[in-house]
Amino acid sequence: MTQGGSEAPGGAAGIYRELMSGSFTVLAHTADTAIEVSADSLAELFEWAAVGMFSLMYDLDSLAPAHQVDVVVAASDVAELLVDLLAELLYVSEANDLVPCTFHVEALTPVEARIRVGATPMEAAALEGPPIKAVTYHDLSVTELPDGRWSARVVFDV
Amino acid sequence: MPYGLGMELKRTSDVTWEILPTGGMRVPGRVFASEPLLVKAREDRAVQQVANVAHLPGIVEASMAMPDIHWGYGFPIGGVAATDIAAGGVVSPGGVGFDICCGVRLLASSYTVEDFEARRNEIMAELDARIPRGLGKGAIASRGLVTDVLTKGARAVLDAGYGWEDDLERCEERGTSPGADPKAISQKALDRGGGQLGSLGAGNHFLEIQLVDRIEDATAAEVFGLATGMVVVMIHCGSRGLGHQTCTDQLRLMGAAMGRHGISVPDRQLACVPVRSAEGEEYLGAMAAAANFAWANRHVLAHEARGAFATAFGTKRERTGMRLVFDVAHNLAKLEHHDVAGRRRELCVHRKGATRAFGPGHPDLPEDLRPVGQPVLIPGSMGTASWVLAGTGANPAFDSAAHGAGRLMSRKAAKRQESGQEVRRGLEAEGISVRPGSVKLLSEEAPYAYKDVDEVVDVCHRAGLATKVARLVPIGVVKG
Repeated sequence: MTQGGSEAPGGAAGIYRELMSGSFTVLAHTADTAIEVSADSLAELFEWAAVGMFSLMYDLDSLAPAHQVDVVVAASDVAELLVDLLAELLYVSEANDLVPCTFHVEALTPVEARIRVGATPMEAAALEGPPIKAVTYHDLSVTELPDGRWSARVVFDV
Repeated sequence: MPYGLGMELKRTSDVTWEILPTGGMRVPGRVFASEPLLVKAREDRAVQQVANVAHLPGIVEASMAMPDIHWGYGFPIGGVAATDIAAGGVVSPGGVGFDICCGVRLLASSYTVEDFEARRNEIMAELDARIPRGLGKGAIASRGLVTDVLTKGARAVLDAGYGWEDDLERCEERGTSPGADPKAISQKALDRGGGQLGSLGAGNHFLEIQLVDRIEDATAAEVFGLATGMVVVMIHCGSRGLGHQTCTDQLRLMGAAMGRHGISVPDRQLACVPVRSAEGEEYLGAMAAAANFAWANRHVLAHEARGAFATAFGTKRERTGMRLVFDVAHNLAKLEHHDVAGRRRELCVHRKGATRAFGPGHPDLPEDLRPVGQPVLIPGSMGTASWVLAGTGANPAFDSAAHGAGRLMSRKAAKRQESGQEVRRGLEAEGISVRPGSVKLLSEEAPYAYKDVDEVVDVCHRAGLATKVARLVPIGVVKG
């Protein structure tokens, strides 16, 4: 999958300001950074959220995966599952000096996810933004829209 | 006074604003700010976050915010909350943050600006080569020290040959947080951050060479070892990936535990459990171990900064005069005794982007600092000023003060204004050498992205949070 494509989700509401279009939107937050993601299915939502997170740090389009990592996470609900997946990807990245750049959901329920990650060595990737320290639960949402599409909002500590 | 977002604030003094308790708030909110700083804070959700923190079980007196308040996640940045342990008071990892024990260390020196100018390029080149920064870019100290570091903090790296014995006296907690439980640090945290001991990271972390621009309190400055025209080194960083992963692990556990303790909070990021519970004690043990990594991290970086100056001047570290002025944390929860409603109580004091500020005579301060109080270090943004203040005897916020200028502009907005190269050129034109790990990232940390640190410090002074001692201006910046 690549960046771009579908429209930025509507409802980047209230005091957030929309700054970038795509299947994920980067939202302005005074100290930290947030993304809003929308997709046709829950699986794509998870993939786009991962793309959105690593795009805050790297130009993913310029990276080619050289390694494959399988990530499995489980949680008590779908919002927590998304946080756990993104947190696990940060761990995989920093512990192994890898930059995950492609994401494919292999299996997904609202409480368990298995993702196949393509990654490139960190030394081959230039930082485009400050490293993300963590994925927060603040203002977190994962929502199924009336038209069957999905949207999510995640705030990162940078 | 009806500033946006429908949250009513009552002005109670020149620099204090009260949020009256509504709904589930157990205490009022209290913001220490001038009118211009408050107006800025009301442009986002920071003030709402002060009100949210007031819901924490056991919170006493008020949910407070320092003058550098800005929108965080869960707690506002600049948030201070104390809970009464005996009354079921809670500890909340969100009140500490992911960068456990992030803090600031300041080194004095025997050099003047003329000495610096004579060796500017050599010093900057040495620092550039010696200070690991960015993401996954190595470390000064070996991973093998980490087990010892988790228990002993700065003492462990001192014993391994980094730094000087008297450094510990000038360090909050003497560089070792008590009650550390290394078993509560996960293998993941060790995998992620174990190899980062002695590294800056990126974002707003930095190592700066600064000049003492002005002394406001000669007595305190002399005790701290500062004089006008002195070159000093300020280091701002924390517990790196090890701390970030530890908070991630603990938040996950705490989310599940909260239900067992019958606690609900308005923001999942405020997850908390009683201090006196198995989960509370585990968190505090893990937090202290990660804090020990942070004390040690800054200690090792300071050793390397001394090495850079020594090499540039062709001398030994011991002859640089680079004594530690102080090392202070601004992301910690600590068990401290304070008077509340006329009674001495054991409190869990959360400082999320707030600096501990013990006043004169405090028994935990080393003897030489006791007459004047603890040095409080408040870094500004690159290109502006930083400050040294002193703790006061009658601090109204559980011995806490501000921790920085506080962001004004989102990272994206800052990036739009100028490129990293433009920011660098601007700084160099003002006589500030810049050695960035990534030029691109400089734009997000540009001076205009932050509030006016002089205004923040002025409010600290007027509110009695801490008093002005010395103003510092940057002449060299090393960033991630």
